[in-house]
Amino acid sequence: MKTLLICEYRQGKLLESTYELLAFAQRLNAESAMLLIGSEAAAPAFSGKVYFADAGQYGEYNPDAHKRLVLEAAQKENADYIVFLHSSYGWDLAPRVAAALKAAQVSEIVGMVDGRFEVPACNAKMRRLLKPKTAQAVLTIQAGAFNYQGEARGTPQLERLDLAVSAPRVEFLGYEEAEKKDVDLAKAEVIVSAGRGVGKQENVGIIAALAKVLGGELGATRPVVDAGWVEHTRQVGSSGQTVAPKLYVACGISGSIQHIAGMKKSDFIVAINKDKDAPIGEVADVLVVADVMQLVPALTTRLSK
Amino acid sequence: MYLELNEEQKLIQETARQFALAELEPVAARLDQTGDQEIFWSNLKKLAELGFMGLNIREEYGGTQAGMVAFSVAITEIARACASTAVTVSVNNLVCDVIQAVGSEAQKKAYIPKICSGEYKAGSFALTEPGAGSDPAAMTTSAALDGDTWVLNGIKRFITSAPYAGVFVVWGVTDKSAPKGKGISCFLVEAGTKGLIVGREEEKMGQHASATTEVMFEDCRIPKEALLGKINDGLKTAVVELIGGRVGIGSLSLGVGLAAMDYATRYAQKRVQFDQEIVKFEAIQWMIADSYTELEAARLLLMQAAFRADQGRSFAKEAAMAKMYASEAANRACYTALQMMGGYGYSKEFPVERYTRDVRIASIYEGTNEIQRKIIAKEILKNLQQA
Amino acid sequence: MKILVCIKHVPDMESRFRVNEAGNWYDERDLAFRLNEYDEFAVEQAVRVKEQLGGAADITILSIGPDRVIEAVKKGLAMGGDRGVHIKDDLVYQKDPWQVASVIAAFARDKNFDLVFTGMQSQDRGSAQIGAAAAELLDYACITTLVSFEISGDVVTARRELEGGMRGAVRFKLPAVVTCQLGLNTPRYPTLPNIMKAKQKELLTFPIADFLNVESLAETEKMYPPERKGRGLVLEGDVNELADKLASILKEKAPALR
Ligand SMILES: Cc1cc2nc3c(=O)[nH]c(=O)nc-3n(C[C@H](O)[C@H](O)[C@H](O)COP(=O)(O)OP(=O)(O)OC[C@H]3O[C@@H](n4cnc5c(N)ncnc54)[C@H](O)[C@@H]3O)c2cc1C
Ligand SMILES: Cc1cc2nc3c(=O)[nH]c(=O)nc-3n(C[C@H](O)[C@H](O)[C@H](O)COP(=O)(O)OP(=O)(O)OC[C@H]3O[C@@H](n4cnc5c(N)ncnc54)[C@H](O)[C@@H]3O)c2cc1C
Repeated sequence: MKTLLICEYRQGKLLESTYELLAFAQRLNAESAMLLIGSEAAAPAFSGKVYFADAGQYGEYNPDAHKRLVLEAAQKENADYIVFLHSSYGWDLAPRVAAALKAAQVSEIVGMVDGRFEVPACNAKMRRLLKPKTAQAVLTIQAGAFNYQGEARGTPQLERLDLAVSAPRVEFLGYEEAEKKDVDLAKAEVIVSAGRGVGKQENVGIIAALAKVLGGELGATRPVVDAGWVEHTRQVGSSGQTVAPKLYVACGISGSIQHIAGMKKSDFIVAINKDKDAPIGEVADVLVVADVMQLVPALTTRLSK
Repeated sequence: MYLELNEEQKLIQETARQFALAELEPVAARLDQTGDQEIFWSNLKKLAELGFMGLNIREEYGGTQAGMVAFSVAITEIARACASTAVTVSVNNLVCDVIQAVGSEAQKKAYIPKICSGEYKAGSFALTEPGAGSDPAAMTTSAALDGDTWVLNGIKRFITSAPYAGVFVVWGVTDKSAPKGKGISCFLVEAGTKGLIVGREEEKMGQHASATTEVMFEDCRIPKEALLGKINDGLKTAVVELIGGRVGIGSLSLGVGLAAMDYATRYAQKRVQFDQEIVKFEAIQWMIADSYTELEAARLLLMQAAFRADQGRSFAKEAAMAKMYASEAANRACYTALQMMGGYGYSKEFPVERYTRDVRIASIYEGTNEIQRKIIAKEILKNLQQA
Repeated sequence: MKILVCIKHVPDMESRFRVNEAGNWYDERDLAFRLNEYDEFAVEQAVRVKEQLGGAADITILSIGPDRVIEAVKKGLAMGGDRGVHIKDDLVYQKDPWQVASVIAAFARDKNFDLVFTGMQSQDRGSAQIGAAAAELLDYACITTLVSFEISGDVVTARRELEGGMRGAVRFKLPAVVTCQLGLNTPRYPTLPNIMKAKQKELLTFPIADFLNVESLAETEKMYPPERKGRGLVLEGDVNELADKLASILKEKAPALR
């Protein structure tokens, strides 16, 4: 079985998450080649073939050209599986590659069971087992689901791809940092985060008070940030900060994949949720089944004594 | 038989629910404690802009024309979060309904759009008097024609929204010599009219954000065209229009009852005594079973009354049954919910205490439940006589 | 300007999901369905474009599924869509994203839409494939996960959401398919008069057979709740006792309290 792994590259750098693709290929026991659309200097530590296209020539974000490069590499490699991360890069490109090949796509793989791919459904409350019906398939894997063991080593053999591509339909104007960071959650030893379960803006203060007695910072989930209850710099998750404090307290947070991606490396995780089945329970060291608005004030009182 | 809301009704219910969760529920406790009017009014304005003030009103007057079933589910959702807001919305709808039912074209155009759009924060329905509660025909407020103006004199009591209403529908005696109830007419009086005096706010047990006051008329002069409907036909208008209002009050009751039981049931799943969650005690389970069954029965009665109204059929008996039963079921539900929570239910820290106070009035206003029973029996006996 | 918005009717995610008898999807029977959260942003953005053009746009709201999806279509119409299209399929859950995208493309092919909006993913399936796959089939440009959108003439300037709080700014010409991320705008509540008026708007219904001409490429064999890893401790019961227990755990874990 052959896989073609599509590297993640941004702002002149190979993203670490690329190695998760290798971990996945290991799990599959598959032969792999990679495709890097980037710079030679950023080639992954991997002893195998890396198809290479220069981002200087094709652009870092140019879906039409990248699609063609992926198709080209897949053909050369005769790959059974073309594997992306389930990321902003992957979900832009993978469906187009799959549609162009009329190949099955399986999104956001978290595991393998009996040769089937396991993916989350219903906001992580359920799982599905999927089987591609085509010989060739496009896969995206959930960020963080497959961890590369040990240190990546090796020097790749680069094979340059050269394609004449037409002018891009989408012009890339550049990267923007969403907002300036005035708090650095990454350095916090304790983070207490508020989710939609806190109910209203007024209640955020109650969560912040707990953060304070614990000597930590306030964090939040995306809906809380989108509602304007907490500033964006405090958002934890795949589109916010990735944090790994000694203690993470999740208050009224369901535990979506995107949120968990940003906090699961915390040393100790406490979740307070009224729903015993909330997926946050899967990563929590302690799940307290309670109403946050009742429990947190009682807790803060006890801790401030 | 098809016991399912249609798509429009579902969407209206969903909009009401989302709005109530996002805007009303978070401030309901504060409104109860401080009566914060700015927030209360701003929510009324938003509800008006969404179209909640004229659910039975035709589009040409700025209404939604969604019908009584939609009205019922909307009031229930609003009341789940905030009963004060729900009663205000219900009374505004009632005032619009009265004007639409008997008003002249000019009156409809002048006032209904202002209530529907939120330009007026509210409309008031001024029927009750110190000496005329259950027996409105005993009213003494007088309306006498003096050239081109009507002159009103008298006192109305317990008038919802009076301090911030833009317009009042007022009943007064126009023919003292007529038999009781046959000489009463209905009028439209604009806020700010000289001689209309809004009295002190009642200090009530619940529904604190919704103001209830006395309204005095002292030589209050209004134009001749302010007569609403036919002369000396006013009491009938009140009786007929209150039928729809009762669906509103029943729906409000249901909303509060559900909120209380939902809260208490969740509480009982967490509260541990004698080493187990109290919800595991059969006594508590029976409370849950009985209360939810009663609330479900109330919902079905309400839906039946509203459905008949939407079909253009008579619904006086059904509305009276629904109002009576729903308000009593909801009062029992709040009592039960509070009981389930023990001392915590009695504490202002938890919302069940507020629900219990808010729901108490529902068996009294828009016709006490004794009066509802009178209506129900009268309708049943009337049909028996016909047979 | 001709705009197509593709939407989905999905269960409320706070529901308790049960697996159906065939074991390959959730049992729909007792679930309350609503408009997919991501699609609310898609409808809202389409309506904003129309408003910006002073009404010079025509918005078609399309949904594939059993009759219940009409509720979602009507919500889209109540928010400001002009026409509803219901492609009727009682077994839509058995269709894979490729088939769904093919149906959308087959519907849109000869209609010259300038802009196609979809949510970036559905809350239940979460595959994030439909928009991009339909774009490929239609040979439209496709921009996914938008968190900002501005249009002027036939040029759109937008921001995509990337990982780690980054955004990527892009510019493109119509026609295009765009997929919408949470927070792109603030979806309006449909007003009640508009809910009622939606009833009068055109609602076209087609059997799925009119547009479906491909086989599925992937099959869901099984659905099940995730295995409880049982790693953590679950505390339940009286709030005050819980607070006591948790306080003692936290005193140990929070460096500041040690
Ligand atoms: C591409 C992409 C990127 C994303 N990036 C991020 C990201 O960076 N960070 C992020 O957080 N999300 C992100 N999201 C959003 C994510 O999918 C979820 O929507 C979000 O994390 C849910 O937030 P939540 O847990 O606060 O809300 P919900 O999922 O609504 O959960 C609320 C929880 O609170 C509980 N609850 C309710 N009331 C109470 C109460 N009184 N007491 C106790 N518990 C209560 C409920 O049981 C529920 O479990 C992203 C999504 C996408 C598609
Ligand atoms: C918060 C609030 C808001 C209100 N809002 C409005 C409003 O906006 N507009 C308005 O016009 N009014 C309003 N009211 C008045 C309300 O409708 C009356 O209070 C109600 O109709 C009862 O009248 P009453 O209080 O005079 O009681 P009474 O009529 O004095 O009744 C006292 C008791 O006697 C019973 N009783 C009376 N007659 C009979 C009978 N024939 N058979 C059996 N029992 C009988 C009653 O059921 C009750 O138990 C409001 C009241 C309150 C408290």
